[in-house]
Amino acid sequence: MARHRKVNRIAVYAALSFYTLIAIFPIALVLMNSFKTRAAIFGSPLSPPSLATFTLTGFQQVLEKADFVLYFGNSLIVTVVSLALVLLTGAMAAWALGEYRFRGNTLIALYMAIGIMVPIRLGTVSILKMIVAMNLINTLTALILVYTAMGLPLAILILGEFMAQIPRDLREAARCDGVSEYTIFTHVILPLIRPAVATVAVFTMVPIWNDLWFPLILASGAGKQTITLGAQQFIGQYVTNWNAVLSALTLAIAPILILYILFSRHLVRGLTMGAVK
Amino acid sequence: MARRKWPTHIVVFLAPAFLVYTVFSVYPLIDTIRLSLYAGDETGQTHFVGLDNFVTLLTDPVWSAPFWNALRNNLLFFAIHIVVQTSIGLALAALLSLPNLKGAGAYRTLLFMPTMLSVVIIGFIWQLILSPLWGIAKGFLSTFGLASLFHPWLGQESTALITVSLISVWQFVGIPMILIYAALINIPDDLIDAATVDGAPAFHIFWQIRLPMIFPTLGVVSILTFVGNFNAFDLIYAMKGAQAGPNGATDILGTFFYRTFFGYQLQAGNPTMGATVATMMLLIILVGVLFYLFGVQRRLQHHLA
Amino acid sequence: MADVSMRGICKSFGKIEVLHDINLEVKDGEFVVFVGPSGCGKSTALRIIAGLEEITKGELYIGGRLVNEVPPADRGIAMVFQSYALYPHMTVYRNMAFGLKFAKTDKGETDRRVRQAAEILQLTPYLDRKPRDLSGGQRQRVAIGRAIVREPSVFLFDEPLSNLDAALRINTRIEIAKLHRSLNATTIYVTHDQVEAMTLASKIVVLNQGRVEQVGPPLELYHHPQNQFVAGFIGSPKMNFVKGKVLSVDASGVTVEYGEAKPATIPVGGGIARVGDPVTLGIRPEHMGEGAGRGLPLAGTVEAVELLGEASYVHVRREDGTALIARSPGDSQAKVGAKITISTGVEHLHLFHTDGAAFPRHSKADAA
Repeated sequence: MARHRKVNRIAVYAALSFYTLIAIFPIALVLMNSFKTRAAIFGSPLSPPSLATFTLTGFQQVLEKADFVLYFGNSLIVTVVSLALVLLTGAMAAWALGEYRFRGNTLIALYMAIGIMVPIRLGTVSILKMIVAMNLINTLTALILVYTAMGLPLAILILGEFMAQIPRDLREAARCDGVSEYTIFTHVILPLIRPAVATVAVFTMVPIWNDLWFPLILASGAGKQTITLGAQQFIGQYVTNWNAVLSALTLAIAPILILYILFSRHLVRGLTMGAVK
Repeated sequence: MARRKWPTHIVVFLAPAFLVYTVFSVYPLIDTIRLSLYAGDETGQTHFVGLDNFVTLLTDPVWSAPFWNALRNNLLFFAIHIVVQTSIGLALAALLSLPNLKGAGAYRTLLFMPTMLSVVIIGFIWQLILSPLWGIAKGFLSTFGLASLFHPWLGQESTALITVSLISVWQFVGIPMILIYAALINIPDDLIDAATVDGAPAFHIFWQIRLPMIFPTLGVVSILTFVGNFNAFDLIYAMKGAQAGPNGATDILGTFFYRTFFGYQLQAGNPTMGATVATMMLLIILVGVLFYLFGVQRRLQHHLA
Repeated sequence: MADVSMRGICKSFGKIEVLHDINLEVKDGEFVVFVGPSGCGKSTALRIIAGLEEITKGELYIGGRLVNEVPPADRGIAMVFQSYALYPHMTVYRNMAFGLKFAKTDKGETDRRVRQAAEILQLTPYLDRKPRDLSGGQRQRVAIGRAIVREPSVFLFDEPLSNLDAALRINTRIEIAKLHRSLNATTIYVTHDQVEAMTLASKIVVLNQGRVEQVGPPLELYHHPQNQFVAGFIGSPKMNFVKGKVLSVDASGVTVEYGEAKPATIPVGGGIARVGDPVTLGIRPEHMGEGAGRGLPLAGTVEAVELLGEASYVHVRREDGTALIARSPGDSQAKVGAKITISTGVEHLHLFHTDGAAFPRHSKADAA
């Protein structure tokens, strides 16, 4: 029986390793080849860069012809500001909906939840009209506003569930001490929901960072591209320059890849926690 | 008795989220539905036309042919996701949730990695890999003596949609995997122990105990996949452009919506028809969500404690 | 029906050994209770017998057969879990029948057994319900029913009553005792509740930190605890402990100085005791009373009085800080803060070495 079990175990590891290879092979391939000469990219695509084949020409070309630093900065601003707004206003709303009983409470909660299932993208025609009317076209502000609206429904749901687990006694005790509702929120609730922030951050940040649709429609002009759009435009333009294309892809995925590997533990735990419900 | 103070704090807490969400999410959706009932003329003025746009979309061959094509493609896109993505996700989750698995954390991290990356980037990467120019895929097949199997899958009408769908599956398999994994590890150990004492073989424990207990999660996975698929755009736009070639073979509702709204090549964009397409997509998603909420979820909840 | 024999069983999780060299014989038809504080290894021991944990070292026999490598289903055991572990998506009937399917029991026989078990446990009206539609007590009975239908030679219970409220717990305790009498199957039962252990067991196994402290019938553990741990664990409220010093040892017992005016001679076998050894006296609260008239007095201040109606617990603190509890009649007049002397008869005393081992008591104390 023990031997049978061992064989099973080996099969399990083999299956997992096989699929893991499928999952990371394409990414590794691009990262590897972006550091190689054109001849080596085509001659021996599967081997890692060696002293003979190592080159940074691709990156040089990308940095000369496109402003990847700027794109990266734009993406960072849009993502971080949107995330901060989603977290703050989302936590406030989740608190109001979960803690206080008032007329229309359930209705508003349902209303806020619609956005979880209905993609905001389908309202693009009107969003564009509105952004033009507000004179915000080709600005990062436009993206931030839309992304904040997009991230709120799920954030409110997750934060609300998390707040419900905070013992009632904590807030009641504060209330008995005569602490104002605002202070309870900022000094009791906010510090306690810190663990949920990781979960909300994954659900909010990744779609924003990776989005192509809204940058394409609301802010595709020079200087306002996010990194996803910038990379897409660059690659479309230099599609035959393999060094440049591979380097552009590497530059576009490197930041999120590094962040992911650094925080993967938190991220995956956050995801599994968020999924528990 | 003193009158209750007007609860200012509730309004203060609720207002920012409520306003941003209403103005930039709910209002545009409602306005889009409204716009779908209007048509523009040469002067740029719009006027109410009732359901004319929908009639045009569904019956005028200029519109209906690409619409039905996109809808058909989208259904196939979804079907491939449901079958392939869910079964791979389930299999990976089942393996990952085995007790005493060494390196489970590392596997989880690596398997989930593609899901974190931009669809656009993933699209380009696969385009390069499948490109006959680079020859990675061909070279790979020839090491197994299967070089003759290679075709420019992305370029052929008969295989382009399936290829794109499988690439999307490759990227997003992490989501069902993680959700199912979370559900599996939340099944109380006692239940598995009880089944072990009852003499159920591992195979039966999976099919008769663990699988039924994660049916609700499979329901959630399905509806998330459905909404995501009928709203997809980025991958196909990145790999095949707004035209979704070859010859519309990879056109789905998202790309069709984009072309209608913004126009392409010689055809000018048409906001009201764009709104009409968006409203149709909204209806399709709504039907799916309602079917899930009232058909599937109820039954599943009845099924489980 | 079968006996269970654990020989030199050790269990480690990684580097941590949680069971050390467990040796135990459970005879056919016995009701054995594993009891001990949480983390003592009692549940692990049970799971090892069930086959849910692998044995690190040692041998396990069930019905004379070495079962170290035998899967749980083939050991002739059935287990009732603390959480009941009912399959939420199956009806009561299917929950009970589930295990029989894999034992290749034919349909008619399965049906007969399930209905019979349901009859015994008064579950017949609920056979088509799902677990969520049952009360806690009913779920508990389904869990027991699932064990009964397997007609096991050994029943294993893992803290089966801990999720029930107090009243239901007493009822179910009596039910389980009745069930054991009628089925007469070997039963191993894990609990942290010493009252459950005392009332159910034909033999109690006290575990502490992965070791067996003592094995014996309930009253033997009560009257003749082999060490201070067992003495303190069995009995409620806990036995009082008072520090003392050996003055002399002779055939009538050990004479001990314990901080009061007169030393006391305790009727225990002196054994290895030497004059001057520090020892601990053990006195059960129920053997103590107010007043100095019982031979071994202890003086102190009343700290609290708990009036239970049928009795009162008088909490006393001696000058050296030792806390004592005496069980007084329900109408105790003790006042908090007042000086008090409580006493006990020397025949009720237990005496322990500093390493915890008990001096053997002269058995006439049993009669008391």
